[in-house]
Amino acid sequence: MWNTISRRILSLVFVLFSVTFLTFVVSYLAPGDPILNMMGGRQDPVRYAFLRHLYGLDKPWVLQYLTYVGNLARGNLGYSFKYPERPVWELIATGVPVSLQLGLLALVFSISVGVLAGVLAALWQNTWRDTAIMSVMLALYSVPSFVIIPLAWAIDLALYRAGLPSLPVAGWGKPEQAILPVFVLAAANVGFIARLMRNSMLQVMREDFIRTARAKGLPWRITIRRHVLRNALLPLLTVLGPATAFLVTGAFVVENLFAIPGVGYLAVQSIGQRDYPVIQATTLLLALAVVIMNLLTDLAYTIADPRVRAE
Amino acid sequence: MNLRAADLPSGQTPHLNAWWLHLLRNRPAAISAVFVLLALFLALAGPPIYQRLLPDSQQRIRDGVYQNYDSINAGPSADHWLGADYLGRDTLTRLLVAVRVSLLVALVVESLNIVLGGVLGLLAGYFGGWIDMLISRAADMLFAFPGLLLAILISAVFGSAAREYYGGMGRLLLVAGALSLVSWPLMARLVRGETLSIKSRDFVTASQGLGASDFQVIFKHLLPNVAWLIAVAATLDVAGVIVNEATLSLLGLGIEEPGASLGLMIFRAAGKIESYPLQVFLPALAITALVLAFSFLGDGLRDAFDPRSR
Repeated sequence: MWNTISRRILSLVFVLFSVTFLTFVVSYLAPGDPILNMMGGRQDPVRYAFLRHLYGLDKPWVLQYLTYVGNLARGNLGYSFKYPERPVWELIATGVPVSLQLGLLALVFSISVGVLAGVLAALWQNTWRDTAIMSVMLALYSVPSFVIIPLAWAIDLALYRAGLPSLPVAGWGKPEQAILPVFVLAAANVGFIARLMRNSMLQVMREDFIRTARAKGLPWRITIRRHVLRNALLPLLTVLGPATAFLVTGAFVVENLFAIPGVGYLAVQSIGQRDYPVIQATTLLLALAVVIMNLLTDLAYTIADPRVRAE
Repeated sequence: MNLRAADLPSGQTPHLNAWWLHLLRNRPAAISAVFVLLALFLALAGPPIYQRLLPDSQQRIRDGVYQNYDSINAGPSADHWLGADYLGRDTLTRLLVAVRVSLLVALVVESLNIVLGGVLGLLAGYFGGWIDMLISRAADMLFAFPGLLLAILISAVFGSAAREYYGGMGRLLLVAGALSLVSWPLMARLVRGETLSIKSRDFVTASQGLGASDFQVIFKHLLPNVAWLIAVAATLDVAGVIVNEATLSLLGLGIEEPGASLGLMIFRAAGKIESYPLQVFLPALAITALVLAFSFLGDGLRDAFDPRSR
């Protein structure tokens, strides 16, 4: 097990290097002189030199990269171009808890609904109910979120028109404001997880130990609960990483269309003002979230699966 | 026609005249192939044909940029078959131009994907050693960035410069370049794996024994045997690329006004869905149909080429 874990940590170092290095390279190659932009038309060599130094742009690129990583390690994500001397963190700090809430809710929703749908489809394998569930899941998985959102809005508006209970379509803070965004953000993952869960269930149901359990007279219901479900849920751990990756990209679209002040929304706002450090910090944070999720699921898998542990 | 997967020795690609027959017998894939060809034709030839069919007074809508202030948010009519948008631009024309943009981005991305991913995968698989190490690590680095994030970052940072220096086409190429960075690592990984398994076959050893150079072995013997995999992976990737381009454009990072993109059209009209539902549903329908068609076509191609997946 320790072998697996140490190998995992080694690859973590590589991934962290990749993410920070690529983010750095893109910002290093960014066109234009940010300091000149920042100073507007003013001719002030002293301030120019000061700002260049503050942003570390007077150093060779290797040193710049090392400074960047060093600052990151100390929790400094860099400084805003738009508001000189203001740390980027201050600009996106308010968005982090919002995005985190939205993401976690969507993750919990997609796992619970996806697993439920997958299990039901597997139990009803090759009946019309299986076909119906899996068709819906295929649609959720393959229809892009920005197509689902207007559809959801149209239905919501129709409900509102009819005087029936409807949901708010913008903003963040009240519980009912979270329902639509969470559903849309989770949609693709629900479809993805349901298909995986169904396959995983069917695979386990064909195993010898299930036949043994049935042969010794264990009722079907208990066999499913004790033997099939437990084993079928295990591979699900591995998709939490990709599922988080889905959520991270989806958050950009959902936050912007639903006007939710998360990091994706703030980052896109900053692009309009050419405040590149904000979008850099945001992509880095989101990438790190996925990296951490991958690490956690791998460790959880190592601990949960005796076969991996024994290696 | 009667050739079946089970009759083939495992791992052998079916004879060439069989794959398209397999594709045609797969109904969703065959319909998708027809749909893709139709979309391609309409995207290229649609606007001029449409213009000929319109009354003389509407001759200028052809480019999808002309604003007819008399028909702002108009419904379908003889002048505007599918209505007009919030600036009085003809919806059908813009839809066709947007599909053209989607397909053009997909074409550029897949060309880069095939050349970069295919060649690098072949090289990594064939030579192994430090070349493999270098290519695989580069691919792993890009894999470290989840989903669209790297493309978002690149389009955001270089977007305004691309617009200033090269205009709308510059933005389009930037988006395509950024998206191909997301695509090629997977292609390289797939091609590398297949190359590894083919490299040890007797016919490769035989041609090496007969004195064929590495270049000849790679491009005359290995490439034809991984070509099907490249075609399948590229087709399946198109679906993702179309969605990603629309996503970037919707976030203001891709195609900009007055250019047309399906994502942009949906985004602009989404707020007014109650009043003008058609303006949202038409591009939404177009993108969903394109995505599904390329997915089914890719799956169909895989089933037609790869006996193991049937």
